[in-house]
Amino acid sequence: MSEYILEVKNLKKYFPADRGLFGRVRHFVHAVDDVSFEIKYGESLGLVGESGCGKTTTGKVIVKLEEPTDGTLLLEGEDVSTYVGARKKEYHRKVQMIFQDPYESLNPRMTIFDIIAEPLNIHGIGNLKEREERVSELLQEVGLTPPSSFLWRYPHELSGGQRQRVAIARALVLNPSFVVADEPTSMLDVSIRTGIMELMMELREAHNMSYLYITHDLAVARYMCERIAVMYLGKIVEISETEELLHNPLHPYTRALLAAVPVPDPEFSRGEPEIIGSVTKPIDPPPRCRFYDRCPIRTKDCEISDHPPLVEVLPGHFVACYEVEKQKRG
Amino acid sequence: MPLLSVNDLVMYYKTKMGYVRAVDGINFTLDRGESLGIVGESGCGKTSISMTLLRLLPENGEFQRGHVYFDDGSGPVDLISLPEHEMRKYRWKGISMVFQAAMNSLNPVYTVGDQIVEAILNHYPDMSLDAARAKVAELFELVGLDPKRMDQYPHQYSGGMKQRAVIALALSCDPKVIIADEPTTALDVIVQDKILKEMKRIQKKLNMGMIYISHDIAVIAEVSDKIAVMYAGKFVELADSVTIFKRPRHPYTYGLMSSFPSITGEKKKLFTIPGEPPNLLNPPPGCRFAPRCPNATKQCTEEEPPFIEVEPGHFMACWNPVKREGEES
Ligand SMILES: Nc1ncnc2c1ncn2[C@@H]1O[C@H](COP(=O)(O)OP(=O)(O)OP(=O)(O)O)[C@@H](O)[C@H]1O
Ligand SMILES: Nc1ncnc2c1ncn2[C@@H]1O[C@H](COP(=O)(O)OP(=O)(O)OP(=O)(O)O)[C@@H](O)[C@H]1O
Ligand code: SF4
Ligand code: SF4
Ligand SMILES: [Mg+2]
Ligand SMILES: [Mg+2]
Repeated sequence: MSEYILEVKNLKKYFPADRGLFGRVRHFVHAVDDVSFEIKYGESLGLVGESGCGKTTTGKVIVKLEEPTDGTLLLEGEDVSTYVGARKKEYHRKVQMIFQDPYESLNPRMTIFDIIAEPLNIHGIGNLKEREERVSELLQEVGLTPPSSFLWRYPHELSGGQRQRVAIARALVLNPSFVVADEPTSMLDVSIRTGIMELMMELREAHNMSYLYITHDLAVARYMCERIAVMYLGKIVEISETEELLHNPLHPYTRALLAAVPVPDPEFSRGEPEIIGSVTKPIDPPPRCRFYDRCPIRTKDCEISDHPPLVEVLPGHFVACYEVEKQKRG
Repeated sequence: MPLLSVNDLVMYYKTKMGYVRAVDGINFTLDRGESLGIVGESGCGKTSISMTLLRLLPENGEFQRGHVYFDDGSGPVDLISLPEHEMRKYRWKGISMVFQAAMNSLNPVYTVGDQIVEAILNHYPDMSLDAARAKVAELFELVGLDPKRMDQYPHQYSGGMKQRAVIALALSCDPKVIIADEPTTALDVIVQDKILKEMKRIQKKLNMGMIYISHDIAVIAEVSDKIAVMYAGKFVELADSVTIFKRPRHPYTYGLMSSFPSITGEKKKLFTIPGEPPNLLNPPPGCRFAPRCPNATKQCTEEEPPFIEVEPGHFMACWNPVKREGEES
């Protein structure tokens, strides 16, 4: 048996950016551009990065909502592209996604009960009474209390953070083995968020679950994840164990990201980030380092070389940057 | 007169199980050039306040009472009393809104650029199409979007790109007040920092009023001149932001401010306010925070504390506030 529940190998996903004459596509958004990582049983990998860098797309490919342009996906050591019929259904039971936008992802015509119980229906699990119990229990756990006052409401009768918690409950109802959690608590305050994170951790302990945890909140990633991968324009630029990454960020993008974390103090004033420009352009990027246009430490070498490979510069700490590699090699 | 003054605003949602008391006696004012942050737990009524102000209530949203005076220099107008066709003139141009549901404010069948162009041309009918497109390109740069992507559809945008498009839309007609409801939940901290700074800059330049709604006290700290802390349909404390952060008096505010997870300090046990969030269908009598409050006394469960000005500009509703250092009672 493989040591990993999930292995992603050289994943690519390009989207057409326009259509020319006769529908011929001339330009592509390189949403995910040769990304590889693996996640162990019971492990959570955090995925952070700039808005629009390809995090959700990576997640959607994993749950098979998007076909990859190229690359392989192994679940428990098996290539999932070969799955059909019952195997495919089993895959969809084991692998769940909590979607980023709870305003888009919840069916507006279904009650909260129906939304959360639907996966149980599809997979023929439990009778009506058992389903009601299971759904009520989950509502309680995600802080929608008392459950009886939420079960028969519709999504438009809930606040943003309440919808987000319904989306979490739906993804967890089948006790999946792998969950892609895409910004699952972005609309929740610290207190409620803590409860949700504790719930997710408990489930992980109890069922040896693994997460790909997409977030903009590094404090959340710190609590939830053993390792963090940092993405920029379709590429993973740094990946390492969580505390190491937070205390010893090496890639210039990661460093800028950490320096920009907001501070809860109205008298604090932050300097300008050490990053050039502000608009990222993922359409047909030139082959050089994807961060080149905005990099404060770029050199002539970077301009003429390909995008740098991810290199293990310290044990378990991988970085894709020529300058960092040079420094570390001494 | 302030730009906006909200007096005793009350709005309930009617449901089969009774009334959800989402907005229950809200008071505040907003001056030109001023920014107000509203913080509070998920479900406490933040979005409902703005929907009531703009009169964009769902079918079961029942306005109960209150006034919303808007004064752009030509004298106060009570938005609540206006007929719908008059009210429409104030939405977008008077008060514009960045909705929490970014997707609901973008039409999936038009390109993002066309939608903003249309909003601009609606309010500035004399502007040429080219000028409007140029303005959209400028707004795109400002929110960190590649202007080349103007002609794409909303579904071709990532979560955070849609959110930025909606911010660009809200800024497009130079409103007097912007209400931004969780405007940066889908943004990384670098883009968030840039956008908050840009919004602040535009606000000061045009002397706009801003209302930021967020669950994130760090974001609120960066943008607000004053802060209202909301709990279960009511404001419990309102003061300038330094007071709220450095010297909070209400026990709920105190709880909110005293713990914030850090990314570098010691990895502490995470913070929760004990107990369950309140049920707005059947809120407890007296102070709504009483079941979770460390300072609660018998009085708290019987009598509702009034929202009063305890020192100039500092409002609070509490019978037994947190003591300040060196203070006797
Ligand atoms: N269906 C689509 N068609 C065209 N382009 C798309 C499509 N889906 C995503 N993209 C593009 O792919 C890139 C990556 O998008 P993705 O949603 O994966 O970003 P993300 O990292 O999740 O960002 P965010 O943090 O803002 O949600 C973006 O440039 C986006 O516009
Ligand atoms: N149409 C509706 N019918 C009944 N109840 C509703 C309706 N809309 C909202 N509510 C309830 O009203 C309360 C306030 O909702 P609101 O959306 O204002 O909260 P919020 O403070 O914006 O929360 P969040 O931070 O999670 O977005 C919530 O408890 C919600 O469940
Ligand atoms: S490879 Fe060069 S351009 Fe890229 S991040 Fe490193 S220094 Fe900057
Ligand atoms: S009024 Fe009483 S219960 Fe309410 S916050 Fe103050 S001390 Fe606590
Ligand atoms: Mg996303
Ligand atoms: Mg809301």
